[in-house]
Amino acid sequence: MSQEEHQEEEILGKAYDARLMARILRYLRPYSKLLAISFAFLMLQTVSQLLGPYITKIAIDRYIAQRDVHGLDLIALAYLGVVGFGFIVLFVQTYTTEYTGQRAMHDLRVEIFSHLQNQDLGYFDRNAIGRLMTRTINDVETLNELFSTGVVGLLGDVAIVFGIAATMLWLDWKLALVCLAAFPIIVYLSRFYRRRARDVYRESRLILGRLNAGLQENIAGVATIQAFAQEAKMYRRFQEVNLNYRNVLLRSIRYNAVFFPIIELFSALSVGLLLWYGGQRMLSSAIEAGVIVAFIQYIQRMYQPIRDLAEKYNIMQAAMASAERIFALLDNRKTIKNPARPIRPEHFSGEVEFRDVCFSYRPDEPVLKNITFRVRSGEKVALVGPTGAGKTSIISLLCRFYDVQQGAILVDGIDIRDWNKQELRRHLGLVLQDVFLFSGDFATNITLGDPHISAERILDAARRAQIAPWIERLPEGYHQEVQERGSTLSQGQRQLLSFARALAFDPKILILDEATSSVDTRTEALIQKALDELLENRTALIIAHRLSTVKNADRIIVVHNGEIWEEGQHTELLARGGLYARLYELQYHSQDRLAPNGEPEEKSSAALGDQTD
Amino acid sequence: MSRLTNDIHAVRELMGFGSLAMVDAAVVLVFSLSLMITINPRLTFWSMLAMPLIPVVVRFFGREIFRFSRETQEQLSALSAFVLENLSGIRVVQAYAQEQNQIRRFEAISSGYRGKTMWLATLWGIFWPLMQVMAGVAATVVLWLGGRQVLQGTMTLGEYVAFNGYLAMLTWPLMAIGYTANQYQRGTAALSRLAEVLDTPISPRYASLSADNDARPVRGAIEIRALTFSYSNDQSPELKNINLSIPAGSFCGIVGETGSGKSTLANLLLRLYEPPDDTIFIDGVDIKRMARGRLEKTIGYVSQDIFLFFGSIKDNILLGTENGDNGALEAAARVTQILPTIQTFGSGFETVIGERGVRLSGGQKQRTALARAIIKDPPVLILDDAFSSVDAETEEEILRELRQFMRGRTTLLISHRISSERHADQIIYLKNGEVIERGTHDELLAQRGAYYELYRYQAVIHEVEAIGRAEGHR
Repeated sequence: MSQEEHQEEEILGKAYDARLMARILRYLRPYSKLLAISFAFLMLQTVSQLLGPYITKIAIDRYIAQRDVHGLDLIALAYLGVVGFGFIVLFVQTYTTEYTGQRAMHDLRVEIFSHLQNQDLGYFDRNAIGRLMTRTINDVETLNELFSTGVVGLLGDVAIVFGIAATMLWLDWKLALVCLAAFPIIVYLSRFYRRRARDVYRESRLILGRLNAGLQENIAGVATIQAFAQEAKMYRRFQEVNLNYRNVLLRSIRYNAVFFPIIELFSALSVGLLLWYGGQRMLSSAIEAGVIVAFIQYIQRMYQPIRDLAEKYNIMQAAMASAERIFALLDNRKTIKNPARPIRPEHFSGEVEFRDVCFSYRPDEPVLKNITFRVRSGEKVALVGPTGAGKTSIISLLCRFYDVQQGAILVDGIDIRDWNKQELRRHLGLVLQDVFLFSGDFATNITLGDPHISAERILDAARRAQIAPWIERLPEGYHQEVQERGSTLSQGQRQLLSFARALAFDPKILILDEATSSVDTRTEALIQKALDELLENRTALIIAHRLSTVKNADRIIVVHNGEIWEEGQHTELLARGGLYARLYELQYHSQDRLAPNGEPEEKSSAALGDQTD
Repeated sequence: MSRLTNDIHAVRELMGFGSLAMVDAAVVLVFSLSLMITINPRLTFWSMLAMPLIPVVVRFFGREIFRFSRETQEQLSALSAFVLENLSGIRVVQAYAQEQNQIRRFEAISSGYRGKTMWLATLWGIFWPLMQVMAGVAATVVLWLGGRQVLQGTMTLGEYVAFNGYLAMLTWPLMAIGYTANQYQRGTAALSRLAEVLDTPISPRYASLSADNDARPVRGAIEIRALTFSYSNDQSPELKNINLSIPAGSFCGIVGETGSGKSTLANLLLRLYEPPDDTIFIDGVDIKRMARGRLEKTIGYVSQDIFLFFGSIKDNILLGTENGDNGALEAAARVTQILPTIQTFGSGFETVIGERGVRLSGGQKQRTALARAIIKDPPVLILDDAFSSVDAETEEEILRELRQFMRGRTTLLISHRISSERHADQIIYLKNGEVIERGTHDELLAQRGAYYELYRYQAVIHEVEAIGRAEGHR
């Protein structure tokens, strides 16, 4: 994550935002019954909290005062009952709240993930993966804190405070008023404290972000730091931020150190007032001892929620900020949409046409200029040209990873913008130079987890891709796990595996970006054989690097600087003596040297084009 | 990263709030209990009878909660790993229209995670109320037994009320014990992970004693003798028996394919990795014996992987030197051809570039890094594929400007482009960690070996590019 992103992550807004809250609540709607149960138990819990001291009062004033031993036994039993009741109620309440929250967060996570799945590739060019990960995982976790740390219990806290006040007033309103006299001051002080605590929290998050960014920069740039002997300077710089962080934390501790004792003080003061005033009234027999005992317990319970007010407030604030970022992501509409009424051809033949296509990733930097060509059903066309010529863009556009800015691409005579994206792609088999393997076993890497592909089809695909003998020799065969995303496999094996993938999906149109890396002669022969299988009965558009592929192609399109330079068959182009002829001459020369006695193209995988470095 | 910040946080909680809560709890516990005992030892005994259970409960739940939180963390990591993999391979996912399958799999893992969290929630959901039950039971005992004692006349009503008050005060410390126990578990786990980081031995680069306190100016003669090196013992050597002598002030070119060991050689010269003893010498001194900071002052280094720090361009260029005035800054920027670019920025040299220089193009970053190296005025210059992001023409141009600067300095130029190496006093061709050809440009061409092949290949590419440009302008 870059420094700017770090700071973006740390921006905190309001702790409560009605608009955001309403949207968060929408995710809870499917679980409204559970939520109702949770709420009911929250109220029951409040009642059980109020009940304990009241029973104590009854026990003292009614049974002890009237010397009723049997009654005392019963009321003690009732008290125990309330304790048990409180246990069950609290458990059910925590569990249902957390359960509801987890369900809702799961739904939210899936929604974010699904949203990302359907974004066009331009979106992923613009947004770093790390940031998207943070949205899907960390921000949802932060939002979930609302439920798991019981911030939802904030409602319960309010209920308890008011419930206690009401009960106290009901029991003895004069005594209650004396005890509650300090409460408005507490409320005022806590607002003051909360504001301070919020500022400090914000600042600490900001500095922590800077600290993390600095740390990351130092780790990533350690070679440069060492080569320029900058360790001391970097240490000083880190030390500075670190000190800053410490000071902010110390400030928050100072606020806590003032606030909590004040709460204690007022709590003690309230008890003091209670004893002074209550004692006087007890002497004049105006009230009974039980009321005082109950009041002491009520006061204790009343101050508890105030203590963790600040922490809950911070969690609320972080959760709101996360929610805001998540919703911003979800509100990003995709640019490449499926048409409302996609057109489907009756019979898919596999014809591709580019009509005057212009495209650029950034304005004023055209990548493709007026590209027009046509690939007939079953035809094999090779794209040749130096790096940056625009070959990869051509295949990306055909897959509709991006939309053209001008002109049109037609598959089977239908503009690809009128196709259903997924439907179109099911007809296209994309094999990239850089083979991406997923964690999972070999079978999954061939099917990509598509349950519609049968075991026989996997075997058949692997056999035709010439990778079957190798996979079958593995201890667990097709169920062997691919280690570290295939980094332990050779380049050749990875390529064959990606061929098997394409064969398993059996596309009508094959889009192949040939690998440039050299492989040994034996593997090369396997690749050639697999390639023949792959090309059979398919329309193919190939970014060709191997001479044999070029020679066997029905047509060669030479792309240079985003334009079609030359077009024709191998021999025609050679005869013309243009760009292609120059590239070929170079190629032929090196192959001649590598394999002087015949069939040079079979044995070499040196690149045609694409190797400027 | 996560180790450092999150673990330090956990340890801080333990040392700060954890220990404070413990002391607080202990004080309240001791005072309340002793007061309760003075009032009524018998009642104290009975009401506290269940208390020894607390450590047992805390221990049990602490262990289980710890276990489940680890499992939950693991499941969360699995979820992250899945998303990372999916997003990295999104092109394949979309190309094969696998979005729905991926969403299904994500749902399954997310559900698994939800399940684990619910277990954790259940444990917490029992643990906290259980602590309240403990307190509640004690209160019941006092209510009942105490009440009976009052009825029997062995305790006054006043004592009874006071006893109740003390008991209420005990509830909080008991909770605190539970809370702290949990913190303690997390804190110690974090502490042991931190210890792992801190116990990693310091690189010999900083640990070794410098034997050589030579203060004479470095001339810059590099000598490499029988250097064989591998990054770890179980790997095949990256460099095999390299012998190379670069006289002070001369220009040496290194060419070779990716992975042939060129950058490893540069890393060793800079001691970013530890070379074996007595293999690399500058002015006849083993670089491992050079005084701290002397090697860094000697070598100006530009790598292919440019790292720019968050800060101004000026700060980035002046990274390795203390005394860079504006004149030197401009001169360095002019040689590396970055000056015109900098002048187009509103705040010139003070322009702040993002982390890793996000607002500069690849070529601009490389030029900035080059300026950073030459402003140090080093006797030795190592350019490790420093121009890979600029085109051949620009590289030529920069080198032409640089030639003046290179005069009298030892230069090691690692490059893919033969055209940049043409003027070198000697060129070595590395393949699989071995020197397979060496000589001047003309000598190597005459050998008609690997160097010659590379030359021819690049000449044609160059020609093709030239054709393209010419036809593009027609």
